[in-house]
Amino acid sequence: MDPIVSIRNVTKDYTLGKTVVSALRGVNLEVHKGDFISIAGPSGSGKTTLLNLIGCVDTATGGLVQVVGQSTGQLTERQLTDLRLHAIGFIFQSFNLVSVLSVFQNVEFPLLLQRKWTAAERRKRVDELLTQVGLQSHAKHRPNELSGGQRQRVAIARALVTQPQLVLADEPTANLDSVTGQNIIDLMKDLNKQQGTTFIFSTHDPKVMSHANAVVRIEDGQIKDRISAAEATLAVAAGH
Amino acid sequence: MLQLLLIAVRNLAQHRRRTLLLGGAIAGVTALLVMLQGMTTGIRSTLLESATTLSSGHVNVGGFFKVTAGQGAPVVTEFPKLVEIIRKEVPELDFVTERGRGWAKLIADDGSSVQLGLAGVDITRESGLKKTLKVTQGNLDDLAKPGSVLLFEKQATKLNVKVGDALTISAPAARGANNTVDVTVVAVARDIGFMSGFNCFLNGDSLRQLYQLKEDATGALHIYLKDIESTKVVQERLRKRLVELGYPVMDADPRAFWFKFEVVNREEWTGQKLDITNWEDEVSFVNWIITALDGLTYVLIFVLLIIIAVGVMNTLWIAIRERTREIGTLRAIGMQRRRVLLMFLVEALVLGLASTGVGAVISALLAMGLNAAQIPVVEAAQLITMSDTLSVRVTGGSILGAVVFVTTCTTLISLIPSFLAARMKPVTAMHHIG
Ligand SMILES: Nc1ncnc2c1ncn2[C@@H]1O[C@H](COP(=O)(O)OP(=O)(O)OP(=O)(O)O)[C@@H](O)[C@H]1O
Ligand SMILES: [Mg+2]
Repeated sequence: MDPIVSIRNVTKDYTLGKTVVSALRGVNLEVHKGDFISIAGPSGSGKTTLLNLIGCVDTATGGLVQVVGQSTGQLTERQLTDLRLHAIGFIFQSFNLVSVLSVFQNVEFPLLLQRKWTAAERRKRVDELLTQVGLQSHAKHRPNELSGGQRQRVAIARALVTQPQLVLADEPTANLDSVTGQNIIDLMKDLNKQQGTTFIFSTHDPKVMSHANAVVRIEDGQIKDRISAAEATLAVAAGH
Repeated sequence: MLQLLLIAVRNLAQHRRRTLLLGGAIAGVTALLVMLQGMTTGIRSTLLESATTLSSGHVNVGGFFKVTAGQGAPVVTEFPKLVEIIRKEVPELDFVTERGRGWAKLIADDGSSVQLGLAGVDITRESGLKKTLKVTQGNLDDLAKPGSVLLFEKQATKLNVKVGDALTISAPAARGANNTVDVTVVAVARDIGFMSGFNCFLNGDSLRQLYQLKEDATGALHIYLKDIESTKVVQERLRKRLVELGYPVMDADPRAFWFKFEVVNREEWTGQKLDITNWEDEVSFVNWIITALDGLTYVLIFVLLIIIAVGVMNTLWIAIRERTREIGTLRAIGMQRRRVLLMFLVEALVLGLASTGVGAVISALLAMGLNAAQIPVVEAAQLITMSDTLSVRVTGGSILGAVVFVTTCTTLISLIPSFLAARMKPVTAMHHIG
């Protein structure tokens, strides 16, 4: 089976004035459909950079990035946006909901952007998602009336409402307390199991990592190894 | 997409202070624009009405009569026949009057004198004059009496006369002699801008007497049309028709008649020639004033628009800065650049429409109030306004025009910051702090 994400020898440099920061130095990675993968690594190791490349919100300096069968380097900005809209869901560390829209409207928004759903279809789909994340009773609330965990659940519903093949989450639990974070990961895991949606998320937290099928460890812009969740937990406990 | 409208409205509502401030400015500018236009339209129409009534008509059939080649007099002979032709050929006609033309010295008993243009009138036919002249002393209808004259206030003051006082009018005649006629002041009218400075109204027969003209001679025929817009058409038709009927007609020369003596006197012909002109030729200063007023209005509009532009730009900058992360997020989840642009344009459009709408209502109320209050115009300004009270002519069309114009400008100006917002890379936008 073809991988849903395929990264070959990818480099990413940031130029800051005269200095060049190499955030990624030759990364290779394959992610398959249904994977629930954690990207782990110290701060500054390149986790966010990698997720941005996979998410088509940024382009690589070198190498090949293929997402759902498309080489992102060859796509125009419009095509990249379309790819994001139809194939990828995003969950952000700080939720990033539209503050002037209600919970319902936030979740509905990607469907509106897709312009292929009737109002009734949208309503049905959004209600389903809100039920799944346990927020059907908060549909009319504004984001600032919700707790952090609730907001992140709205964000998850928004990411999944278009039934994307791939969901990316950059430290989705970093702004939540550990119990809430745990619940969020459980929710993501459930959705992964039920619908086979592929998840790639980054985290510092060993507890969060422990749910993953595999943990990709990244250090200094390079993939160190790809290990099981149990190994990763042990490694963190051992302190390396 | 309705959601963009919702986002726009809610964002505007969320930043109430900012929205009110900018919206208030836009509303103010709209109201000002409408008022400004209303005032210039008011001035323009009173100016036109006064000028055409006092000195030209809409179409003017004047001409020169020469006994010898070098002695042109601004006279039209056998005018009743011409009036008949005009009545037949001009269905657009409102009314037609004859005016004697002259230039003479008015001398009061105490010796004070002024040089003035003379307009000889048959007051029974001058329905326009009755509307335009505001008689403060005496009675306009008394101009029907032989030997009667109407002066404007300034002229009366200068001559130190009042109604009932006698004047001698002295005009140069052939061979260096002077003809005179004795008249009585029967009415004094309020000054009408500078137009009242150079003319007074004299009983038509007295003017004929002064210049020893026949009964059926006058200076010019003033043709007033139902709609001033048909001036050019009527002028052309009359010119053609009169030529066909065998009248000698002078070549078109868009100048007032008193500029033409020199040319006419240099030409060889004697007898009668007609000159068919329009108000733009005879009272060209009206057009200068209107052009100047328009120019002034444009300058003011330009300044006002700059104020709006700076305000809109600035506010939108701030709004976009604050919402950079939101833009990044929306771009990340699949919103195209064009949509982002549209989102901010809609916001500017909503703000523009709402504010200009408020401005339109304010201006309409203000105009009604000002007109009802009959605010007097300072004397210096009366030179231009030609009216002693402020009149603001606000029409539905001018209000709509201002609303559309200001809204369009607001939206166009917001294109620049909106475009920059839409162009941001999603990552850069998302990582924006603030
Ligand atoms: N926009 C940028 N401009 C310049 N350098 C950047 C930029 N973004 C990231 N970097 C650099 O690239 C490297 C990788 O950063 P990245 O954000 O991917 O790390 P990370 O693993 O996500 O870190 P953290 O755990 O703190 O989120 C770092 O050295 C960082 O300083
Ligand atoms: Mg990061």
